[in-house]
Amino acid sequence: MNNIIDVKNLSVLFGGFKAVDNISFDVKKGEIFGFLGANGAGKTTTIRVLCGIIKPSGGKVFLEGEDVSKSTGILKNTIGYMSQKSTLYKDLTIAENITFSGRLYNMPDDRIEKRQKELFDFIGLKENLSKITGSLPLGIKQMVALCATVLHDPEIIFLDEPTAGVDPETREKFWELIKNMAKLGKTIFVTTHYMDEASYCQRIVLMDKGHIVDFDSPDNLKNSYFPQKPVEIKFKDKTLQNEITAEFEKQNAGYGYVFGDTLRFFINDKAVFEKVIFKYSNNIKQKETEPTLEDVFLKALKTENRK
Amino acid sequence: MKLFIRRILSISMKEYKHILRDPFTFAAAVGIPVLFVIFFGFIIDLDYKGVSVNVRDNDQTESSRRFLQMTASSGYFNLIPVHQQSQADKKLNENDMSSIMIIPKGFGKEIKNGSGKAQIQLIIDGTDNAKAGIINSYISLIADKASNVFSKNEDNSQKPYLNVKTRFLFNPELNSRWFIVPGLGTVIIGLIAILLTALTVAKEWENGSMELLLATPVSAAEIVLGKLIPYFVLAFFDILLIFIFSLLVFDIPFRGSFSFYILSCIIYIAGALALGLLVSVITRKQEQATQIAFAVGVLPSFILSGFIFPIENMPLFFRILTAVFPQRWFMQISRSVFLSDSGFTELMIPFFFITCFAALMIFVSIKKFKKDLEVTQ
Repeated sequence: MNNIIDVKNLSVLFGGFKAVDNISFDVKKGEIFGFLGANGAGKTTTIRVLCGIIKPSGGKVFLEGEDVSKSTGILKNTIGYMSQKSTLYKDLTIAENITFSGRLYNMPDDRIEKRQKELFDFIGLKENLSKITGSLPLGIKQMVALCATVLHDPEIIFLDEPTAGVDPETREKFWELIKNMAKLGKTIFVTTHYMDEASYCQRIVLMDKGHIVDFDSPDNLKNSYFPQKPVEIKFKDKTLQNEITAEFEKQNAGYGYVFGDTLRFFINDKAVFEKVIFKYSNNIKQKETEPTLEDVFLKALKTENRK
Repeated sequence: MKLFIRRILSISMKEYKHILRDPFTFAAAVGIPVLFVIFFGFIIDLDYKGVSVNVRDNDQTESSRRFLQMTASSGYFNLIPVHQQSQADKKLNENDMSSIMIIPKGFGKEIKNGSGKAQIQLIIDGTDNAKAGIINSYISLIADKASNVFSKNEDNSQKPYLNVKTRFLFNPELNSRWFIVPGLGTVIIGLIAILLTALTVAKEWENGSMELLLATPVSAAEIVLGKLIPYFVLAFFDILLIFIFSLLVFDIPFRGSFSFYILSCIIYIAGALALGLLVSVITRKQEQATQIAFAVGVLPSFILSGFIFPIENMPLFFRILTAVFPQRWFMQISRSVFLSDSGFTELMIPFFFITCFAALMIFVSIKKFKKDLEVTQ
């Protein structure tokens, strides 16, 4: 079995509220696996179950083929979890935080030090180790937290919104690191609500209100939701914009969003669409474009809600 | 499940650093015990020495003079003679004094008769009722002593008054410091073990760092032990501090069994820590943890332990209530081992209560802590 994570019919109830409602998915070894969804979609709850922090109300979770609920804690050596909330103790120094993490996994002190140096070199982090963590900028803090999380060299790394609130430059560096770790054969399970980040993942799960809306690779998702590529339409005459949009709607050609002077249009019926376009062809410029994961997510939610 | 000492110790080390770096915790752990010892040991002195008492002797006999001499030589009072009754009346009317003792005419005659009808009139300003009570009881005590002396001298076999000596058997000088300082340990552990423990574990929940600990191979027992050890050490250190202060600074005797005292301390601290843990597991928020810890830990230590307010003077309901709190029983142990020659045999009942409480708390808190981790929030 090459599924490093196997989730079968997982449900989590908080009182009467279904935080996670009967979801199933699998993650392959060495994969960067994305979990997408708005706040409250059940992403963090799912991670907490996978890490063995809370017990599921129903269903089974297997890590490396072993049932998490029956595991005696040995499995926890193979995972690393970086949570959304402060992973580090603010009143401890960088070194103290790192050492503490390592000791929890019973790593010898010399190995902790060696690993810490390796990881800091790898990231290019040059912070003074005796700095108190609370005083660091968020980006650096998250980097240090990641080092603490992967210090014991876990096989599966759970990252819950690791880049939330971090500046774009640091985010990029962060993802560089994640990709590098995946190259070393580590499995990365990451949640995010940045859609651009999701495209770094090999496969993604789209979650909404505890359900899995869809689950595939970003490209497959894009192709299956948008067999017709979206079109960007620019208007020569701005007054025409409303008229054409109304026309599209009337004829049920598809739907679109306006961004500045551009209409981003998703085609339902190609024949109708072309007929309308033809009518106004002198006044507009159209260009085919690639669907984004954001488009996929919005469409998926729309379809889901219509069900 | 195997416990890893190194993991427990690394959690303890981390906790120790939290304590050192958080001014509030550090102050509570180290500053407050020292402050309390100074406060209760030096500043609050429930002994009144040299209290001014006006005296009007209307009898002017040998007996009355002897009684006054006995009162003066007790050292508690500074007697101010009032030479005329009119002067006394004026002072009384003008609120110019806190107390006056009047020996009526015929005092000496009644003493001679041995009729037991000899009277002293004592008028005390009741606004400071603690002081009033003390003046009253001191003078009554002196009067009792005097009546004994008089009855012997007059060769009268009748002993007219109660002998109150038994009440102050272990503290014959009525030294309140002897009473207060050995009881301080109860109060300080109530504060440190219950309040600080509740805070530290609640903080870990509140910050979300508890979750990370739970995602590591560390077991619930290791977390609990690791977090509690520093507070155990602190509480024990405070007990020793009070012990040393008592003996060296306040000259309080230690007459009972030292090993029994240490054993009781360990059990009492363990129970208090477990109670703190339980509070934090239930609340998971520092603010609520503080409030509940105050209600079940700090206040009972002061009010229901007999530290300041004697339990025997409480209404029945509260007397029964005090039995539920281990503070009351530990207070009894502390005072008895210091002031009387007591050990296990004499203090079996309080020891039984603190042991039961500790066992119950440890059982409930660990069970609740474990259960809490299994079931979702």
